Amino acid sequence: MISKYVPSVSSFSNDIDSLIWLVTVIVGFWFFLAEGVLLYLIIRYTAQDGVKAKYIAGEDPKEKRWVAWPHYLTLGFDVWIIVAAIQVWQNVKQTMPQADETVRVIAQQWAWTFVHPGADGKLDTSDDIRLVDELHVEKGKTYHFELNSRDVLHSFSVPVFRLKQDIIPGRTIRGWFKATQTGHYDIQCTEICGIGHALMPARIIIETTEDHAAWVMSKTPASASLTVPSTQVGGMP
Amino acid sequence: MHRMKKSHAAALGLMLLVASSCKPAGAKKTLPGHELYAACKSCHGAQGYGQQNIAAPAIAGLPVWYVEAQLVKYRSGIRGAHPDDYEGLRMRPMSQQMMDTGEVKAVAAYVAAMPPMKQPSTLQGGDATAGSGAYAVCTACHGPDGKGNQALNAPPIAGQHDWYLVSQLKKFKSGIRGTHPKDITGAQMRPMSMTLADEQAMKNVVAHISTLAK
Repeated sequence: MISKYVPSVSSFSNDIDSLIWLVTVIVGFWFFLAEGVLLYLIIRYTAQDGVKAKYIAGEDPKEKRWVAWPHYLTLGFDVWIIVAAIQVWQNVKQTMPQADETVRVIAQQWAWTFVHPGADGKLDTSDDIRLVDELHVEKGKTYHFELNSRDVLHSFSVPVFRLKQDIIPGRTIRGWFKATQTGHYDIQCTEICGIGHALMPARIIIETTEDHAAWVMSKTPASASLTVPSTQVGGMP
Repeated sequence: MHRMKKSHAAALGLMLLVASSCKPAGAKKTLPGHELYAACKSCHGAQGYGQQNIAAPAIAGLPVWYVEAQLVKYRSGIRGAHPDDYEGLRMRPMSQQMMDTGEVKAVAAYVAAMPPMKQPSTLQGGDATAGSGAYAVCTACHGPDGKGNQALNAPPIAGQHDWYLVSQLKKFKSGIRGTHPKDITGAQMRPMSMTLADEQAMKNVVAHISTLAK
């Protein structure tokens, strides 16, 4: 249902959609039931001429049930949601599968620089491919990402991956994703980062193995050697 | 009581009807320069004198053709799209706030009409006398008085912040600026920056530019 509006193209995006659905259905059912009961009682017991309001202390067990039972149900459903959420958190945030490749993401006011490993598959070599506002990845490959900020707080968000991770200046924050479909999708900053925050979009281009290899070759300079340069490529200014 | 409820329901219905019939104004209008400049103020300042702490240059009084040309370059990724151009990458999205060429022209005209001011010197260690010799190369385009020459696409540089001039010389020399295939005027400036051997040479020539009257 959610993927009808925002495509689901990472290995964990369906898990997150399922979690959102679980919360929506449980909260939605009880919200509408509770509001329905409230509305019924308002209409059923609306003020009437000649009828005096009755004070109810709520000490009778029959009356207390109206509070106690929903309370127990809330606790039960909370536990259900928490268990499901921890499972997803464990799979997405606490587990780092072996990386096929690593990309570096450098955020700044108000642009993204993406450092791709070149043909050698390694970062910080002379064939690294640095692009502004454009990230190229291969479908089916597990990527680790390294998030850096040049200035203030940012947040790396790829809605189709259901991925969102804050970026904190002075720290390198790592995570992972694995794209499951090809296509061009949005990347956005989801942390207010200054006057140009709304003008900080980028694109992720997910390619087949053949297309990605062709793109890497097209961007690899003929002179590129596979040695580590003296200064780290894509580092802080 | 019932009459009151009916009147409330009728009022609510009327409000919904009015709300549903409202449409946003269809015709897009080009905003005037002073309104567009509101987005520039936070970096370039209300008077357009710039701020060193965020590397924003003075723009007040720059010729309209130059401001417009730079905005077009930023908007199209010809300038400010290099991964190492930290300040340029910040300017690029701001230039995209203008919705069309009409708004670019409007804000450029507003900036050009702002009264310019000679910016104070901040650089240490520049030798203006030594720099005056190196400046001979620059006079061909920027003129001996540093006031620029539209025919050669050379902007005025006299009165500009000295730290900004050095930073741009460094960017031209390292290829951060002036290397985009469509940056014709940047490509003209880049080899000129190569004539300055090192940072000291840049400081010297900028020290000389700082002696020129705005």
